[in-house]
Amino acid sequence: MTSAVFGVSELSWWRLTLALLLVLVVAAISLRERLGLERDLVIGAVRAIVQLYLVGLILAAVFSAARWYWVLLILGVMVAIATHAAVSRLGKPIPGVYWIAATALTLSTAATLAYVIGVVIEPRPWWEPQYLVPIAGMILGNSMTSAALAGDRLQSDLFARRDEVEARLALGFSGREAVQPLVRAALRAAMIPTVNGMMTVGVVQLPGMMTGQILAGASPLTAIRYQIVVVFMMAVATALGSLVFARLAVGRYLTPAHQLKRYLL
Amino acid sequence: MQDAIFQIQHLSLVYRARRGHPAATILDDISVDIERGSALTLVGPSGSGKSSLLRCLNRLEEPTAGVVRFGGRPITELDPRELRRRAALVQQTAVLFEGTVRDNLMVHAPGAPLDVSENRLNEALTEVGLDVALLAMLSGGERQRVTIARALLRDPQALLLDEPTSALDPPNTMLVVDTICRLRDTRGLTIVAVTHTPELVRRLGGVLLYLVKGRVQAYEPLHDGGVIDERLQAFLSGTLP
Repeated sequence: MTSAVFGVSELSWWRLTLALLLVLVVAAISLRERLGLERDLVIGAVRAIVQLYLVGLILAAVFSAARWYWVLLILGVMVAIATHAAVSRLGKPIPGVYWIAATALTLSTAATLAYVIGVVIEPRPWWEPQYLVPIAGMILGNSMTSAALAGDRLQSDLFARRDEVEARLALGFSGREAVQPLVRAALRAAMIPTVNGMMTVGVVQLPGMMTGQILAGASPLTAIRYQIVVVFMMAVATALGSLVFARLAVGRYLTPAHQLKRYLL
Repeated sequence: MQDAIFQIQHLSLVYRARRGHPAATILDDISVDIERGSALTLVGPSGSGKSSLLRCLNRLEEPTAGVVRFGGRPITELDPRELRRRAALVQQTAVLFEGTVRDNLMVHAPGAPLDVSENRLNEALTEVGLDVALLAMLSGGERQRVTIARALLRDPQALLLDEPTSALDPPNTMLVVDTICRLRDTRGLTIVAVTHTPELVRRLGGVLLYLVKGRVQAYEPLHDGGVIDERLQAFLSGTLP
């Protein structure tokens, strides 16, 4: 079972069932402390198993089919799901927010992915799913989180600081100029977790991808090389995702006559 | 009117229904001229559209019908940024940006630098009754007067005041009222004020516009004895039938 010295050690269903006992511990804590989380916990555990299993099946099929269009299709589906997730975290609706989020995620992921795959890693062929899919997933996850963070902060600041924005407008600032400090604050809020993460990466905890590689039998020295690429790639994905999202989203709150659309706040 | 700085013609503002909010008529067919160098006081119960009317004058708000002219030209033909420098808004709560009083006075759009000397800065502060030397911890009234000085540095022709004293205690209210009235006299500024402060209404004089539910209910000159105290009280408390 756990006898592999090189390569990947298989994990049996029986052992996975043993891991499920860990969820029972959480359920026990929830019951004892009356947290009322048991139901969500069961749903969450079932969803985690089903979703991951399905993803595993799909990826296995795509990997074995080895066609570039299947890989692109998977990426498209991933962008769509990430777009929905990013948008659903916003407190209030923004008109056209789906297109804004889709544009931000597509642009930031495509640009980052093109560089990492085309210049840094250079797999053959370029669409090799073993590289493209997990790397795109990591980029997309970071873009999504940062776009949602930036959007959330931008929205709450536009409401809380609306008088300040209108004070600038009343002093003859353009709409974009008047909201610039708020856009800056939103970008900072979106990027700070990633920048802080770079400070402690590997020291506090081993990143997921590196852990996975090491568990799967890769040398730690190979794993860290990939992890370094991943850290930088996530930083740029965060920056691009939040930048494009915030810039496009803030435009929805302004009119060509440099007015703040208060009714959207 | 001979020389109207603002001409408001059949102005209406309707908020269309949005999720959770029914449609609402904020301003309904308002027509009034404001003479250059004069004062117009907007009074009425809360929700009567006073602030919205004020915000239509410098185009922070876009009317759904009607025309506002500034210096004879429809404001939609002017650059809104230029209009807002000419017709300066003073908000209910003074908004000061990060930095010193000096930074706040000098604040300007990146593309439109403010060319003012140290002398002019000091003059503007003196005009609003502030002493540069003792500006450290600002009181509410001092903050409001800094925003007025900031507006003055742009050489406005009109001051739009949105309840400029409502957040202030009585002594600070008096200082701000003094400042506004002095400016009207010395600079010949046109003043359009939304206010509930009787002292400001009386001392500004000019004309009083009484709005109820977005419609003009009364339009009366405020020259000496024009509006008697009880009537003014009724206007200000919004209880005039």
